[in-house]
Amino acid sequence: MGRLRRSRVHNARRDVHRAARTRVRTRDLDQIQMLDLDPKRRAELEAQPLDFEKPGLAQHYCVECAKYYETDVALNSHWRSKVHKRRCKQLKEPVYTIEESERAAGLGRAERKPTVVPAVMEDVVLAT
Amino acid sequence: MRIEKCYFCSTSVYPGHGSAFVRNDAKVFRFCTSKCHKNFKMKRNPRKVRWTKAFRKAAGKEMIIDSTIDFEKRRNIPVRYDRELVQTTLKAMKRVGEIKKRRELAFWKHRMALSRDKHRAHRRKVLDAAKSSAVKQLLQPAESSKAREKIKVAPKTRSALVEGEGRSMGMDMD
Repeated sequence: MGRLRRSRVHNARRDVHRAARTRVRTRDLDQIQMLDLDPKRRAELEAQPLDFEKPGLAQHYCVECAKYYETDVALNSHWRSKVHKRRCKQLKEPVYTIEESERAAGLGRAERKPTVVPAVMEDVVLAT
Repeated sequence: MRIEKCYFCSTSVYPGHGSAFVRNDAKVFRFCTSKCHKNFKMKRNPRKVRWTKAFRKAAGKEMIIDSTIDFEKRRNIPVRYDRELVQTTLKAMKRVGEIKKRRELAFWKHRMALSRDKHRAHRRKVLDAAKSSAVKQLLQPAESSKAREKIKVAPKTRSALVEGEGRSMGMDMD
């Protein structure tokens, strides 16, 4: 028997690799939680101007999942879906940031010293 | 030059080592190894991955509140080189390291003692439950004598699903 199918067997790995490319990166959880969920920004995102490059002309956007939908029906069914609910749950807990990674390593941040120290000194000098 | 911390596992990243990812909002994520980078790409939360520092701190496995931790800080104000200052700093680092080690050991001992107590309590509970059930059985002899008899079944010599010397059902790959 000859050789059977060695190539084209890494499909799963290929898809994972493709999903991790920087050009398909969407907004991260910390960006969504800290910026997008703010009511003002949220309103902005939900009422975007017509964009011919985006799916559905950027009219049906899910803020939590950072995803555009084609129609209102699709968006509504997404909101009822498990994927969306899971995402909402993830967004409820405090998000992991670079600061936290540094704190975990025992690296704190020095608090800014007030830059107007000389002025205070002058006052003291004047008082004495 | 700075010793950075890995975004995922929080170990030190020395100059010339590891890799960095710069997001389009100019946040720099540094990684010590490709392992950490890959885990980041998989969008895992370091707080939920057992081998990271973040997990250990969040789960109460390491000291969080201690004065010895507060010494290391990211200071963005440059300090002019001073021989005296360097010497005293080095001396202080050594001393702080000693104290930290001792406190960490004490913390670990305390943690282990707590877990041992927990284990013991659990074991005692299980044992008591087993004993009480045994007593019950003795007091009320088994009414259901219709216990099914065990029949010995000869074990299968081999399964077609297990691959082995050409007998398997699976396709040969070569």
